[in-house]
Amino acid sequence: MKRTREEVDATLQIAKLNAAELLPAVHCLGFGPGASGAAAGDFCLLELEPTLCQQLEDGHSLVIRGDKDEQAVLCSKDKTYDLKIADTSNMLLFIPGCKTPDQLKKEDSHCNIIHTEYTTEDLLDQIQASEEEIMTQLQVLNACEIGGYWRILEFDYEMKLLNHVTQLVDSESWSFSKVPLNTCLQELGPLEPEEMIEHCLKCYGKKYVDEGEVYFELDADKICRATAQMLLQNAVKFNLAEFQEVWQQSVPEGMITSLDQLKGLALVDRHSRPEIISLLKVDDLPEDNQERFNSLFSLREKWTEEDIAPYIQDLCGEKQTIGALLTKYSRSSMQNGVKVYNSRRPIS
Amino acid sequence: MVQIVVSSARAGGLAEWVLMELQGEIEARYSTGLAGNLLGDLHYTTEGTPVLIVGHHILYGKIIHLEKPFAVLVKHTPGNQDCDELGREIGTRYLVTALIKDKILFKTRPKPIITNVPKKV
Repeated sequence: MKRTREEVDATLQIAKLNAAELLPAVHCLGFGPGASGAAAGDFCLLELEPTLCQQLEDGHSLVIRGDKDEQAVLCSKDKTYDLKIADTSNMLLFIPGCKTPDQLKKEDSHCNIIHTEYTTEDLLDQIQASEEEIMTQLQVLNACEIGGYWRILEFDYEMKLLNHVTQLVDSESWSFSKVPLNTCLQELGPLEPEEMIEHCLKCYGKKYVDEGEVYFELDADKICRATAQMLLQNAVKFNLAEFQEVWQQSVPEGMITSLDQLKGLALVDRHSRPEIISLLKVDDLPEDNQERFNSLFSLREKWTEEDIAPYIQDLCGEKQTIGALLTKYSRSSMQNGVKVYNSRRPIS
Repeated sequence: MVQIVVSSARAGGLAEWVLMELQGEIEARYSTGLAGNLLGDLHYTTEGTPVLIVGHHILYGKIIHLEKPFAVLVKHTPGNQDCDELGREIGTRYLVTALIKDKILFKTRPKPIITNVPKKV
């Protein structure tokens, strides 16, 4: 199932990347057969001082020594080093045979696609990575796992799943608070993988058991919010009145939309004529406090506390409340009898 | 005293791999797992910026030359037949399979690729 140059170019087009701005060589990355996690414990990474690295390259060995009660140390011929273990929450992938841009530029290679394909067995037995541009397969090993990334990747797919579910609820005339899991899996199984259907129900509802059967109580707020995101993400801004009408029509019948559901997701401008609404996700904003405030104030000069609170809520910690953050990073004034906040210094 | 030897898997130079670092997790869409599946396309801009297309997203990263390279170690626990030249049993060893001198780090949020434009509002 190797990708062809045509497929790569098609992907570039869909991604709206200009091939003229890219080097001609592309690495098509794939997971090796040992990538399902079982082999993860067999590998580890040892971070080396350059001199130690040189010794290994010269063919010398190093030794790890230690008594049971002692800290382990790493010994070379003439030096001893402390050994420490470190963790990362990031995902680390090994790519045998991958070229850096500098290497690609030096080689005048005509080879345009570098496929990576390599088996675990080859590694353990042969221990010789192929030095050629062809054919070494990506070996994937999780250093550590954190959740949440999957959802960001698949929002469009989640919406697709959610639509299947809500349409089924509608056609079966079920109550939103009693959606039977088994019937969903039965009816929607032919369309989508069962685990995905169940995952969708878990994301947008609460599971419970009644007389031995599993049901889900759908969360109307979450569903309305996701629907709004889907509508807003493909345009810069919407006429507020029109948006509210379309939004209400787009959610499952019986669910009530309300702007309160969109805190931290969308921003309403009540001073423009007509009033408009646009997508503004708190996740897309800078994480640093000062940069966050700079970016909010460059989007809008003056904010009420009600409007800005959802966009700084996540910055509050044990030591800082919304009030404290506003005091520190903004200046307040009164406008038409309402307290508003603006930047402490001019924003360019 | 426990001694574990860390040695080169073979004479004559070690392979060099590249490390790719991503925040978050990659999960397989189906329960069959990741093995054998494509991950995505890795491009470089003419200025050397790595660009990764995974599913519906683009990630921009940077190449970092590591001041302290990594050695990729594979643990080798001996079977009964593993003995050295003098017939002594060899203990657990770590074999250095490859060295990593460069890494590609992606730490900004993926940008979505919009392929479907819904009906106009």
